[in-house]
Amino acid sequence: MKRTIEVAAVGSVLIACVAGLAVPPDSVQGDLQRIMYVHVPSAWLAYLAFGITLVGSIGYLVTDKLRWDRLAGSSAEVGVVFTGLALATGSIWGKPVWGVWWTWDARLVLTAAMFFVYLAYLALRRSVDGAERRAQRSAIFGIVAALQIPVVHFSVIWWRGLHQPPTILRPDNPQIDPPLLFALLLAVFAFTLVYVALLNRRIDLAVAEDLLTDAPRADEHVAGAAVTAPQLGDWR
Amino acid sequence: MTDWGWVAFAYTLVYGTLIGYVTSLVMRTRRANGEATRR
Repeated sequence: MKRTIEVAAVGSVLIACVAGLAVPPDSVQGDLQRIMYVHVPSAWLAYLAFGITLVGSIGYLVTDKLRWDRLAGSSAEVGVVFTGLALATGSIWGKPVWGVWWTWDARLVLTAAMFFVYLAYLALRRSVDGAERRAQRSAIFGIVAALQIPVVHFSVIWWRGLHQPPTILRPDNPQIDPPLLFALLLAVFAFTLVYVALLNRRIDLAVAEDLLTDAPRADEHVAGAAVTAPQLGDWR
Repeated sequence: MTDWGWVAFAYTLVYGTLIGYVTSLVMRTRRANGEATRR
């Protein structure tokens, strides 16, 4: 099943990439608008990944099972990668369109804040010894950190700035032509499959790391053998 | 830079990062499994 998802992810990404480069250019921004087909899916996956971290955090606190903690931690790491990509592609898009790499727009600032908050979450996971203690503290952090996700999403409505308001997730009809909408939804689908494939891989790594932490080191046995009590014969 | 240059920059960054991240996950998992086996 994991292998099937990985193959489907690679195939759909290739198709989405070709579609993003082949659809007609935007009437206002021209070919620059094609950056949307990697920028928007990255931002969507940041939300999804951190939402899954929230689910995993609640799951751990409810069940006390470490598999929920692994899900939360793994999803957070993948989410940080996609948030970084959303920030970077937004910056690359902003330079030719807005004339600046960065501006103190509410959406940009809050997305950057979300990026650093989840970096802190990952740092917390590395700094706490003991699987249960790490899981409990991370779960509380993961739940509190998730409060910012809706703030980031609605920031373009609550505080008007340079960043455009939602194109698809809006009360009235999507303000985008059908071919462009199709390419965008295809890219979102492909990136979601990539996220699932990456999450599976990251959880495999988390399981391996936990086994490594639990397994006794070979040199610990050697050290234990070295402190055996002296034989009586040695004292005669 | 041309419009297509900016597009190529963004696509290279995204797909390059994803390929790099997948590679790092595979290598980290192999190393962790190998070390656990040696213990």
